[in-house]
Amino acid sequence: MLRQDLIQKSPVCKIINPDSITNIKFGAVLSRAGVGKTQFLVQIALTRLLNNEKTIHISLNDSMEKINLRYIDSYRNLIDSIGYVDPQKAKRLWENINQLQVSIAYNESSFDPKKISEYLNSFQKNNDELPSVIVIDGLNFDNDLTSLLDELEAIAETFKISIWFSMRTHREESLCSDGYPKQLENVKDLFEKALFLNPKDNKIEATVLKNGEDKNRKYLLDAATMMPE
Amino acid sequence: MERNLKSVRNIGISAHIDSGKTTLTERILFYTDRIHKINEVKGKDGAGAIMDSMELEKERGITIASAATHCRWKDHDINIIDTPGHVDFTVEVERSLRVLDGVVLILCSVSGVQSQSITVDQQMKRYEVPCMAFINKCDRSGANPFKVIDQLRNKLGHNAVPMQIPIGLEEDHEGVIDLVKMKAYFFEGDSGEKVIEKDIPEDLMDKALEVREQMLDQVSEFSDELTDAILEEQEISEELLMQAVRQGTLLRKLTPVFMGSAYKNKAVQPAMDAVINYLPAPVDIDNEAIDIDNNEETVILKSDFDCPTVALAFKLDDGQYGQLTYVRVYQGCVTKGTTIINTRSGKKIRPGRLIRMHSSEMEEVNEIPAGHIGAMFGVDCVSGDTFTSPEINYTMLSMHVMEPVISLSLKPVDNKSEISMSKALNRFTKEDPTFKTHVDKETNETIIQGMGELHLEVYVERMKREYNAEVVVGKPRVAYRETITKKADFNYTHKKQTGGAGQFGRIAGFMEPCEDDFEFNNKITGGKIPTQYIPSCEKGFQNCMAKGPKLEFPVTGIKVTIEDGAFHSVDSSEMAFVSAARGAFLEAYNKAKPVIKEPIMKVVIETPNEFQGACMGLINQRRGIIEGSQEEGVMSVIEATVPLSDMFGFSTVLRSGTQGKAQFTMEFSSYKKVPQSIADDIFKKKQEEKTKS
Repeated sequence: MLRQDLIQKSPVCKIINPDSITNIKFGAVLSRAGVGKTQFLVQIALTRLLNNEKTIHISLNDSMEKINLRYIDSYRNLIDSIGYVDPQKAKRLWENINQLQVSIAYNESSFDPKKISEYLNSFQKNNDELPSVIVIDGLNFDNDLTSLLDELEAIAETFKISIWFSMRTHREESLCSDGYPKQLENVKDLFEKALFLNPKDNKIEATVLKNGEDKNRKYLLDAATMMPE
Repeated sequence: MERNLKSVRNIGISAHIDSGKTTLTERILFYTDRIHKINEVKGKDGAGAIMDSMELEKERGITIASAATHCRWKDHDINIIDTPGHVDFTVEVERSLRVLDGVVLILCSVSGVQSQSITVDQQMKRYEVPCMAFINKCDRSGANPFKVIDQLRNKLGHNAVPMQIPIGLEEDHEGVIDLVKMKAYFFEGDSGEKVIEKDIPEDLMDKALEVREQMLDQVSEFSDELTDAILEEQEISEELLMQAVRQGTLLRKLTPVFMGSAYKNKAVQPAMDAVINYLPAPVDIDNEAIDIDNNEETVILKSDFDCPTVALAFKLDDGQYGQLTYVRVYQGCVTKGTTIINTRSGKKIRPGRLIRMHSSEMEEVNEIPAGHIGAMFGVDCVSGDTFTSPEINYTMLSMHVMEPVISLSLKPVDNKSEISMSKALNRFTKEDPTFKTHVDKETNETIIQGMGELHLEVYVERMKREYNAEVVVGKPRVAYRETITKKADFNYTHKKQTGGAGQFGRIAGFMEPCEDDFEFNNKITGGKIPTQYIPSCEKGFQNCMAKGPKLEFPVTGIKVTIEDGAFHSVDSSEMAFVSAARGAFLEAYNKAKPVIKEPIMKVVIETPNEFQGACMGLINQRRGIIEGSQEEGVMSVIEATVPLSDMFGFSTVLRSGTQGKAQFTMEFSSYKKVPQSIADDIFKKKQEEKTKS
């Protein structure tokens, strides 16, 4: 019950259908630095964790500890958003879902999809359930990532996993003619879902860039918690 | 013993397994006339190296115990500790580093910086021990000392400065060029004992000048005089350059790098010169102790023979004449027949026999002065004890000791072996702080714990060889627990009338899960159970906790509340209420959905980055939950929790899966419910055991 309540309260539920998080190969959350890409990615992963699915969070910027702290914070924000929850219940649920999540911190130079593939293979060898979502935070889409994305696409296909990326945009760069930031424009065909976060007054405006037919819809989120207004 | 402490060096030789530490030490002993024939680590003659005095070491070709020895080279007294290279014996390395002033880090010119080199390096950092590097095996196919120098810089973060370049590599390796003297050195004679100095071969001059230029650039940071000389393009004297290198090395900001091939007797003597020239003398190092009588203030010890004595026991050995205690004297002198006090036990000791070790051979001495390493006979102490003169009460800082990570059960085959095993275990636990032993109260088995499977294997082997203790080694049983998962009521009447005084007692209440091992809550009112029988009720319940009704594992996490009951003025007794409580416990226990819990260990794997995925896979295969993984330079740290029952044999699996490059540590984290399929297996095994017995 608590699980469902939390999923319903999640910003992901409001903006993207939570079930459609996992039926794609690639999704992206875009914004300039410090707006909340990582926090939104964590919320995406949390909705799957609450659905009892495994997730992997890969960061090329944050330490393992910091990633774990982000999850604790986001879970707390979700709990707070539904008013009073029995603390014991909330703690038990956290203990259950936390063991489904794996944080991996890589250096950008040594990030190699082969390592992920090797790890995922071990699930198959053991007949274990595979993670449903991999979150990759910190890849620099200003660089040419063609071969890396090819390898990751192969992973997504082989293991039937959805991969969500953060994409850092730049304040000074104007949007392309179709309204996409440059970083997405170059690889847009690979991505089935994309969300653009932009600060507006004291809020965050989330614009759906790609989500099937659902395009250009805008939502307002609380800047501190990323919870929907 | 040498009284001019500037002419004393206490050095360790550390590195990854099989980098040639023992071979190098053997050559040093030969060149310093301590031995007259070189024996190889696994020589064809079966003699084994002098430094590997333990039979087992000679057989396996690895160094197990640190052998202490000393030699004289160019009017300097050098005390050498040959330390083990295998990861399971790192406590030996740690203990050595604690008492040494400098270290020669041996690296293989083919394999480069390996995992154990990284461990040793971390230990050197912890104890702030200055070091120099010797890149060995330059005669091997694939030798590349410059690659190793790069790894020293990149992997270990050393400011590595080549002091030599090789003359030829692999099978063409002939000698080295000294970049300070700018001379070429060749080693002739049957054992390379003749050092021939020649001019630098023309074809190597450009390379020598180029590397020297870089060396000057790096070294000049430690001497203004040298910087001035370089800027003014003056001739740079050998002394000036050596002083700057020494300064940088003592500050731990520079690692001079030498190279050669100990096995082929090439360039060992220049490395020995470097020990004298660049590694610190005891007077160059500040050693600290804690003054117990003075608010535990830190005091700096003086390498002064006339000051009160302070010495540290860093290693114990069981020799044929009793316990041999290796000590490093930091201040004053340990003198034959003079009283010293063991600070820990307060015992007064008068060492009757002092010796200086030469591997397994001994040389009797009258005193061990400050700055030296020696050994005492017949002193009862444990490793890490401090000895002082009676007028002071100092203790040296305690050594960092790692917690054991693996355990095995032992069973002596007969009474004689049991006595011998007990003697052996007593000795080993005194010698090695990472080796622990206890008797499991539940299984009555002797459990030994250590740093790895090889570590324990070696002790079991030593038990057999040195103490004639034949033991059967088993897989230790995991200490499972039982607990309940829901609240359940009980209302039990114990009634017995078999002639004579009867027994009567009724207890009613409930049991529920709780955080503590056992809680008892008395809510009886109105004297339904008289007060004098309440402790018997508690005792009855508590007795049941020792062996659970489900699988006979100890029960934990139960809170019992009694609310109602009845007694009989004649037939009720303490015994009757103990029995009533037992009945009540059994009645409620099965209704409370009992489960089995197993110990979950926190496992941290440190692996080179290329094996990260493989290591995470290994955890997955063991019912492990990965908390995360973090890259730190070239290494990745993986944190996970894994059931203890799935961790046996993991060190072997990890080694084979990572070419021996990954290490792991393990500590108890919590007890967690066993999955049903595993619980069924445990149940089956228990049934089989019962049937057998």
